[in-house]
Amino acid sequence: MEKIAPSKGFKLKLAGMPDTSVIRLSRPATVGVSALDIPHIRPKLLVKEKQAVKTGTPLFHDKRDPDIRYVSPGTGTVKQIRFGPRRRLVEVVIALDGMDDFVEFDPVSPADLNSLSDPDLTDRLKQGGMWQTLRQLPSRDTADSRSTPPLIIVCLNGNDLFSPHPGRVLEDKIKPFEFGLAILQRFSDRVIVAARKSSMDRLEPVRHRITHQVADIYPAWDPGAILYHIKTKAEENQAWYIHVEGLIRMARFLETGRYPVETMVTVTKGHDKKPHMITRLGAPVRLLAGNFSPESVITTGQLNGRKVDPDTHLGFFETTLNILPDAPDDEMFGFLRPGLNKPTVSKTFLSCLVNKEVQLDGTLHGEERACINCGYCETICPVDLMPSFIMKALHGDDIEEALQLGLLDCCRCGLCSFTCPSKIELTQILSLGMDTHHKDKQG
Amino acid sequence: MNPIKKIFDLLEHDFSESGNFAKLAPLFDATKTFFFLPSPKTRIGPFIRDHLDLKRYMSVVLLSLMPVLFFGMYNTGFQSGLARGESLDFWSAFLSGAWVVMPIVIVSYAVGFFWEILFAAIRRHPISEGFLVTGMLFPLTLPPTIPLWQAALGISFGVVIGKEIFGGTGRNILNPALTARAFVFFSYPVTMSGNVWVAGANAVDGITGATALAVTADGGTSLTAALADQGFTLPHLFFGLVPGSIGETSALCCLIGAAILTLTRIANYRIILGGMAGLILTALLTWLLPGTYGTWADAGPLYHLCAGGFLFGITFMATDPVSAPGTNPGRWIFGFLIGFLTVILRVANPAFAEGVMLAILFMNVFAPLLDHLVMKHRISKRIPNV
Repeated sequence: MEKIAPSKGFKLKLAGMPDTSVIRLSRPATVGVSALDIPHIRPKLLVKEKQAVKTGTPLFHDKRDPDIRYVSPGTGTVKQIRFGPRRRLVEVVIALDGMDDFVEFDPVSPADLNSLSDPDLTDRLKQGGMWQTLRQLPSRDTADSRSTPPLIIVCLNGNDLFSPHPGRVLEDKIKPFEFGLAILQRFSDRVIVAARKSSMDRLEPVRHRITHQVADIYPAWDPGAILYHIKTKAEENQAWYIHVEGLIRMARFLETGRYPVETMVTVTKGHDKKPHMITRLGAPVRLLAGNFSPESVITTGQLNGRKVDPDTHLGFFETTLNILPDAPDDEMFGFLRPGLNKPTVSKTFLSCLVNKEVQLDGTLHGEERACINCGYCETICPVDLMPSFIMKALHGDDIEEALQLGLLDCCRCGLCSFTCPSKIELTQILSLGMDTHHKDKQG
Repeated sequence: MNPIKKIFDLLEHDFSESGNFAKLAPLFDATKTFFFLPSPKTRIGPFIRDHLDLKRYMSVVLLSLMPVLFFGMYNTGFQSGLARGESLDFWSAFLSGAWVVMPIVIVSYAVGFFWEILFAAIRRHPISEGFLVTGMLFPLTLPPTIPLWQAALGISFGVVIGKEIFGGTGRNILNPALTARAFVFFSYPVTMSGNVWVAGANAVDGITGATALAVTADGGTSLTAALADQGFTLPHLFFGLVPGSIGETSALCCLIGAAILTLTRIANYRIILGGMAGLILTALLTWLLPGTYGTWADAGPLYHLCAGGFLFGITFMATDPVSAPGTNPGRWIFGFLIGFLTVILRVANPAFAEGVMLAILFMNVFAPLLDHLVMKHRISKRIPNV
């Protein structure tokens, strides 16, 4: 097992680490398939409101590849199709019936896997709504089935600090996990399994499968950060990756011929310790979040997630919710206070002398100013970028220079924006640059 | 509700776009945010943000300047008392020094803020906190005898030509405070050199007010002996009870400032250490040169370090992040060359004894080139992703 120990990243201790006990939530009244957390997708609806759907019925597909389908995680009727600004699809909501009725596929046992040809396997995963769990770096778009990946990274830990513990996710699912790895080996000879150091205690049964152990510094376990630290040549930049939840679901789908609907999620809320929850894919946010003040902000990751409307449903890739407390009022002489309770990665508040778990609120703590070249973004970037220089190149419309400076290595962890004293939205600027480049390349 | 907050809320309307004083909105905004740190909600991810902002950043620099400022006040009073032949106790020296220094600081802030507000109002952008530091740094580099109108003219030049015409904070090439000082130095050399370093000295005949760097030795004595002769012993230079610019005389206070800035990681230690290394190595080299007996080439690294404004410059001026390089290797080279140039200017050009100001301004101009070279090297080391 190789060890990856980057020195840069987020080292503050945030409060809200979920309890490792597991509870099963009751069956929700509705489930939704959100299109907001699927990068680069151009969805085309395949159902209408009030239409009856089975578990596994395609709800929409990706116009760029109509074979890639997003299917219903429940049996019932389409209750609502929500659109956002510019008629962008937000989500398709299904009102659940009492019983599940599945769209059936022929099951494939681990022994039969090799009898399936490559195109058959890909096709089956696409038909079943499973292909998109495989994603491709650096743009994090759905994996291109026509290409052969140089390597596939299996991430045991999710995108967030508080994603479900892989030990809990894998519990009783060792066989599907092994089967999943066998499926991945059909696509690439090199499959890398990476886990956080702190997760290793519960991963004894799959220990022999783990190829890389990463340090406990966010975002060391992100596929982009892992790739940055292990790659040796430019071709490896096109690596694929998959999160362990997706891998297990992919294996179960092939094995049973039915769309698997269970998922494990965590909810983080201040200093509360909430258990891991087993629920249905696309469960309503309100059901998961429990009680929260109307002023709080709900996100799917404090550093790199998106803001969620409490009346919507959890996204396709998302396994965690963070509830950030209300913002306090403007503080009198806030910049002069000693700041024992003001967590910071700099050393400008006394809080740097105290090492305890902290809860940050969803405010900027200052106003946007010009970049003063202070270098904080560089000292925290996990992939050794100089975000301020890239930002300036992008502002000058010099995409070539931005790319040379390593723009596509950015893993969108959000740390540069987090730490910037001028409160510049560096992550957004870099992400937009990457997305524009990806769109241009697609033509 | 906080009564001060109430006043701001009452006034807010007048300074809004439709209000009577819409043009002064940046001033209102700056005053309000001085009292109440604004905390707008994050619109996009990351949803949590660090507590450090530019106001805090700049106030830490101001904090690190306090020892220098207070010692500068005391020393100004002390030197003035010495010149008049009065022996002053601590408080009377401090107060009489403050009486001289405070007007210069106030003029610098008042005139500088006028330009800052004017440009902010025209450009409709918020007033930058960066000026808090510039407005304090500039007076500390002046002799206490400077006429106030020259201080006003200097800070005007520094803010307008040194910063605003480039686009304001974050876009300037040169350090604005040093630009201001350079303007005064070259425009009014009489008030910036010679016997101008002791306030009130002109009242008494026969008092020399020159700084240590103006000392040269002749007639076979060594430079250190000549320095000691005029009261510039090493401990005096280190603690700073010698004539000189208001803020630069005390090496100790500059080191305290450097410690605050380095520990809080506001200033980059690479620039400070690189600068000291450059100065010490170059001073050692010139010290070893034959035939320099009696000149500043023979002074040795400790005298170079403690005399003149080197420590003040390298701590507070060279570490200005905007005009310094943004890459770490660039910062080492930048600092080192400032140290190197300072000694070379002191040694090679006796007519221009204090070299640190020009060394920093000169390296400011080269900072983008250093960054460019470092980035080229970094890019060559990266595995390309296109």
